[in-house]
Amino acid sequence: MADVAIFCFLASYTVAFALELLRLRTPGRFGVLASVLFSGAGFVAHTLFLWNKGTTTGIPPLLSSSQDWTLVLAWLVIGLYLFLVCCDRRLSIGVFLLPLVLALVGASYLLEDSPSRLLDSDTRVRTSWAMLHVSSLVLGSAGVLAGVSLSLMYLVQHRRLRNRGGRTTGLRLPSLERLSRMNWWSVAVSVPLLTIGMGTGLVLLLSGSEATGNLSLTDPVVVINGCSWMGLAALFCWMLLRPRASGKQVAWRTLLACGLLLLTVVGLSVLTNTSGLSSGHASWSSPASAVSAVERGTVG
Amino acid sequence: MNLQVIYCNHQTASLDLRERLAFTGADQLAAAYSDLRRAFPGSEAVVLSTCNRVELYTAQDDPKAAPTHEQLAGFLSSFHGVPVENFLGDLLLQSGPDAVNHLFRVCSSVDSMVLGEPQIVSQVKEAYRLAEENSACGPLTNALFQGALRVSKRVRRETRLARGRVSIASVAVGEFARGIFDRFDDKTVLVIGAGEMAEETLEYLKADGVRQVLVVNRSPERAEILAAKWGGRGFGMDRLEELLATADVVVAATGSDRPVVDVEMFTRARSGQNDRPVFVLDLGAPRDIDPAVAEIDENVFLYDVDDLQETCQKNRDQRSGEIERALAIIDEESERFMQGVYHRATGPIVKRLREQWSEVSRLELERLRSKLGHLEASDMEKVEQSLSRIVNKLLHPPLEALKEEARDGTPHGLIDALKRLFHIRD
Repeated sequence: MADVAIFCFLASYTVAFALELLRLRTPGRFGVLASVLFSGAGFVAHTLFLWNKGTTTGIPPLLSSSQDWTLVLAWLVIGLYLFLVCCDRRLSIGVFLLPLVLALVGASYLLEDSPSRLLDSDTRVRTSWAMLHVSSLVLGSAGVLAGVSLSLMYLVQHRRLRNRGGRTTGLRLPSLERLSRMNWWSVAVSVPLLTIGMGTGLVLLLSGSEATGNLSLTDPVVVINGCSWMGLAALFCWMLLRPRASGKQVAWRTLLACGLLLLTVVGLSVLTNTSGLSSGHASWSSPASAVSAVERGTVG
Repeated sequence: MNLQVIYCNHQTASLDLRERLAFTGADQLAAAYSDLRRAFPGSEAVVLSTCNRVELYTAQDDPKAAPTHEQLAGFLSSFHGVPVENFLGDLLLQSGPDAVNHLFRVCSSVDSMVLGEPQIVSQVKEAYRLAEENSACGPLTNALFQGALRVSKRVRRETRLARGRVSIASVAVGEFARGIFDRFDDKTVLVIGAGEMAEETLEYLKADGVRQVLVVNRSPERAEILAAKWGGRGFGMDRLEELLATADVVVAATGSDRPVVDVEMFTRARSGQNDRPVFVLDLGAPRDIDPAVAEIDENVFLYDVDDLQETCQKNRDQRSGEIERALAIIDEESERFMQGVYHRATGPIVKRLREQWSEVSRLELERLRSKLGHLEASDMEKVEQSLSRIVNKLLHPPLEALKEEARDGTPHGLIDALKRLFHIRD
């Protein structure tokens, strides 16, 4: 069990995605079952991997490294996929959710996996602020991921219905009404969570300049992520002000705002960890580093 | 019996063509029957025009009086003002047993877009009633259409063809409306028309939870009657635009020969609410809603009967076993019907032959009675019985041959031979 590697669940998810694609051509009960079986196996391996990481480092996976942070996000999405497929096995949501999972797990290969500082006995103290910061960011990001998938589903379903595609093809999606409602809630839930994440990050930044090292408010990562968050917040405000906006408009805007945010968050994590971008957040990019930094600040 | 049908249906022709060739309303049909009587005086005729098909059945005793494919196509062309070359390729012709088989298939809904749909039976009945009202049909078409209704009953009784989604409305709602809306209990449904199709749609939507029902019809009284039956409100056509603005689901099923909702009307009704999705189902042929309405904004989801082809084909594929069973019944009934027809054709000659020979035997018996007056009544009775047996035995071979020949069609050659051999006159 301790030998579970990222490749194990990445392979399972890839097979599950291939089966989902196959279902589009030849829909049937067997295809769904096989897809759920592979995804479930991947999910178990994924859970074991994160559990092993947590027990090895002695801290929750959220706080150990930016790689684990991404893997937790993928784990949440695959959990959502399994839940939805169990609710209605005919839905083809795997076609939309599994590529995101694959992208996240694939990106995790490029991210930092060095919890060394966390393992230092003098920095192994968790602060509730850091925990709140990362968990709200992860959950908010899961909401953003859901928003991207739901928007895509809405646009595909809308196009199919406008082109008189109907439900006869293998791709079965929820109704526009349901997708629109779920899309609204994904934005409505993720914006406050990301706001809490940003707010706590700010508190961490301002509370101990020594702890955060050379990270400042003008750091490119902080600025770009802040802009992306503002874009999402603006979308949320627009949705509140225009409750009767058409589902397609909401879907397009959500796709743009959430897609941009997702790209910047994951992209910047990859860039800072592969030293492609000079940022004080690089040493802070993993929430674990944040904890350690905060610890140093408070202790030192 | 000489019978033929010329037709186009959802499998052979597009809705665009079908609506141009359709016969809408009793007045147009009355005019069509009047023209048919004038063009083909020796023929019986029945027109069957639904959203899925336009069919013209003709039948006559004299094979020489049968109209040709071109003549019937020419009639459709001149009546509707559509050039023949625009539709001749989409028009099919069946005659004799094939025409019988075709009507039996149609009436049993094997040929319908939605397999097993019950509406076709009442449509066939109504088509025959209108033909009768216009004195266009006769004994041949009567036998044919009565036979078709009987076969339809048998197919529905002995197969599971009529189970599941068996109406166009149910397929359309299940296929498309459910892709747009999650639930219907908070939606307003507007039904345009108060006919059978409208009622069937309402029945399905009510079962799906619809609460707010509005019905508009040319006759407000009929709209109110239908709406009251389904817990809704009925209105006249003058309220159509106003009601369109409030509806989430619009179902049009009128018998109008031109669109009752045009782009201008729909645009006005949609003004200020083009962010709200609206599902529009046009079950009319000719269409009740201008197809350009779909382009008004991207939240208008407009469908007509031809948009359901793919789903209906899938439905057919899944029930191929039932189709085979239904077709076996139809083939058997078609054969039986044709045998009945042929036997009816040989009936007069058999009757006359029997009468002629019985008359000869009776005359011979009379002569014998006058010559042999001393014979007892019981003896005369025995002689009479012997003569009757001789007549029957002599008649048996030709009548058997006639019966045998009639299994494959009207035995015109044999009938002529018998007439000549035994000097039988019409």
